[in-house]
Amino acid sequence: MSRPGLVLEVDERTPPILVHEGEGFRLERFPLGTRVIYPPDSLPGLRDLTGRIRDALLNPLGSEPLPELLRSGMRLTIVFDDLSLPLPPMRAPDVRQRVIEQVLEMAAAAGVDDVELIAGNALHRRMTPAEIKHIVGERVFTSFWPDRLRNHDAEDRDDLKSLGQTRHGEDVEINRRAVESDLIVYVNINLVAMNGGAKSVAVGLASYKSLRHHHNVHTLRHSRSFNDPPNSAMHHSYDRMHELLSESVRVFHIECTLNNDQFPSPFEFLNKREWEWTLKDQAKFLAAKRANDLAPAGARHRVWQGMRAPYGVTGVHAGATDQVHERTLAAVHRQQLTEVHGQSDVLMLGLPYLCPYNVNSVMNPILVYSLGLGYYFNMYRGKPLVREGGALIMYHPMKSEFHPLHHPSYIDFYEEVLTQTTDPATIETKYEEQYATDPWYVHLYRNSYAYHGVHPFYMWYWGAHALSHLGDVICVGADRKVASRLGFRAASTLADALEMAGETVGRSPSLTYLHTPPMTLADVR
Amino acid sequence: MSGGRMKLAQEIRLLRRGRDWRGRAPAPRSAQPWTEGPRTRSFPTEWARTPLAAAARTVAFDGVLRTVTWSQTRPEVHGLDLLEGVKGPVVFVANHASHLDTPLILGSMPAQVRRRVAVAAAADYFFDARWRAVATALTFNAFPIERRGVERSLDLASELIEDGWSLLLYPEGTRSPDGWARRFRMGAALLCREHGIPAVPLVLRGTYQAMPRGGFWPKPGRPVVSVRYGRPIACEPDESTGAFNGRLEDEVGRLWVEHDEGWWASLHSQDRRRAPRGPEASEWRRKWEATRPQPPSERHHRIWRRR
Repeated sequence: MSRPGLVLEVDERTPPILVHEGEGFRLERFPLGTRVIYPPDSLPGLRDLTGRIRDALLNPLGSEPLPELLRSGMRLTIVFDDLSLPLPPMRAPDVRQRVIEQVLEMAAAAGVDDVELIAGNALHRRMTPAEIKHIVGERVFTSFWPDRLRNHDAEDRDDLKSLGQTRHGEDVEINRRAVESDLIVYVNINLVAMNGGAKSVAVGLASYKSLRHHHNVHTLRHSRSFNDPPNSAMHHSYDRMHELLSESVRVFHIECTLNNDQFPSPFEFLNKREWEWTLKDQAKFLAAKRANDLAPAGARHRVWQGMRAPYGVTGVHAGATDQVHERTLAAVHRQQLTEVHGQSDVLMLGLPYLCPYNVNSVMNPILVYSLGLGYYFNMYRGKPLVREGGALIMYHPMKSEFHPLHHPSYIDFYEEVLTQTTDPATIETKYEEQYATDPWYVHLYRNSYAYHGVHPFYMWYWGAHALSHLGDVICVGADRKVASRLGFRAASTLADALEMAGETVGRSPSLTYLHTPPMTLADVR
Repeated sequence: MSGGRMKLAQEIRLLRRGRDWRGRAPAPRSAQPWTEGPRTRSFPTEWARTPLAAAARTVAFDGVLRTVTWSQTRPEVHGLDLLEGVKGPVVFVANHASHLDTPLILGSMPAQVRRRVAVAAAADYFFDARWRAVATALTFNAFPIERRGVERSLDLASELIEDGWSLLLYPEGTRSPDGWARRFRMGAALLCREHGIPAVPLVLRGTYQAMPRGGFWPKPGRPVVSVRYGRPIACEPDESTGAFNGRLEDEVGRLWVEHDEGWWASLHSQDRRRAPRGPEASEWRRKWEATRPQPPSERHHRIWRRR
């Protein structure tokens, strides 16, 4: 049995704690009394994954077995999560490949000819053929690419279909091929509690017209947190949309959950609690740290981006979306949830090299902001880890680096919008429409490998709740100009950062460090 | 707290912080309820008792370890005459406060006795990594012993006794955290009773001051350490294991008192069994007492002084 999560209180015998900072990491000596939140130990992966997938498809929750839903002459669309999941990408074979292959075996046995596979990438960049092949595997790729295996195009008016509005007036516009299918099989990976369920189809296959109803400042400020679906306005919107689209098309949902084995063998010390590091782990740490610090930036970037996680699959559930997702959330909580008592004055975060939007790409400052104030700040259930008016200290070099191919609108957002204001509401009112409909960004999204023009706005809204909650944000090790552009302050060391935070939270604040990755969801009581 | 790129030495210093020489860190107090029990695996040690390994041990122990121990400390050995006539197998039973204890005991024994002694070493501590297991088995002729009440943990010890090996056991199960002795566990007494062999009690003094837990090297200044052997004692035919264990503790206690007050006084000491356990006082006072420097005995004083 795996050990549960742990809230460590730093004492004099606590060794220095590992902190991620972009494409690097360090050991940090936190002040005595600092709370350090660790996730439960990594759960064991399923031994017979093939058997479990088969069992899930044949004995689904709230649905007939998949073979009974398949028949000759039907239109079947298989949709799968794009490369934003999981993080880091999974070592081949990806669990989506394993699932899709079994679904296709059953479809072939039932004589289904009209099958199409679509990546549910919404407004994310298109995936390259190599990236798609990594997810679906060689056999699927060879059989379907390029005509019947493709990325979703949220700007292809001919391939979108409006299903009307929800009772709250939200437009639901979804991929036409999927909606006009007899059955959608959605193959999902649930890395965090935010993913999956009603979100999968309603977001993955939607257009800007549909997405703007939940990806906006108001909704995100009232999603507390978006990793706690019952208390997330964003998820309430997904649910309404899913309800509407379920009237038009049947969805057979397959959700997979992973354990916390996020780092391969040479970096396995990153998955361990520091006082349990063996000599081998310490040698690995030292070797990896020195090599990483001394390596040229390009080589370092290639090593980190080339990392493939040896995840174990902890669960596969299939059937009706709601019932499946309930089981999935329980599995995610089992792996990630740690009970924490009370908030603190200061929350500290080590931001790693990767977020959902820079896989095989560059972590630009807006993504750093989104990872810290969006994703990690929202890794809570109940209450935020930091009190209202408290301070956030995050570690990241935060360099002014952008991937011009993947993030063209981010560059303009950084240079044109953030120089004027950092207030999410003002940004939304004043600039969103212009970027979302800019023909050049639309062209790059559809024909190049660019994120949609509106995507940096969503990243900014992602942190809207944190921005209104926090009294101060200080970035350790960050480029001062970049931090200032984002509206934050930079500090060289933790000591300096705490000194600066003292202006907001007093001279002896309570401190909490969220030790993640691996993924940790704090259940704050 | 750190910032910027560190030099390798700084990095190593930071990494080593809070860890002992083997790179282990004690679990922080708040993490102790969630500490996993040690994972041990069986490690064969028969090879360490072959003539070739014994020859290598002579070089490693006599040539290196004993030399280092005797050069870094001032050992005093008492009661070796009581070992005369002792033909193995026997079980040597000692208090345990330091990693110096084993080299000191083995180094103080006559070579013909030492060559037939196998040392019981904690399986979860010395045999958890292959390199450590090889080094321990080779240098000390050590064999693994489980100290967490695992069934059949004494099987290997029994086999060794049957093969004619004497054993060195520390019945406290671990090194003292404060320099004072703990209650003896039953293992040593049980082995003596089951195999009908005597136990040789002995007491170590000064090793905690010289190199306490967490230490890697004896403290500077060649601290005085002493080994005091007692007379071999055997379990009576109708004596229970518990009673014999009590007698062993009593004899070790007497040797402890003998070190402080002399042989005659030790014979009349009322509470000698409790003497090694130290004062019933707060932690710091116990450590304070335990770290009092050991005065060298009379014979070390110079008689002839240079002018």
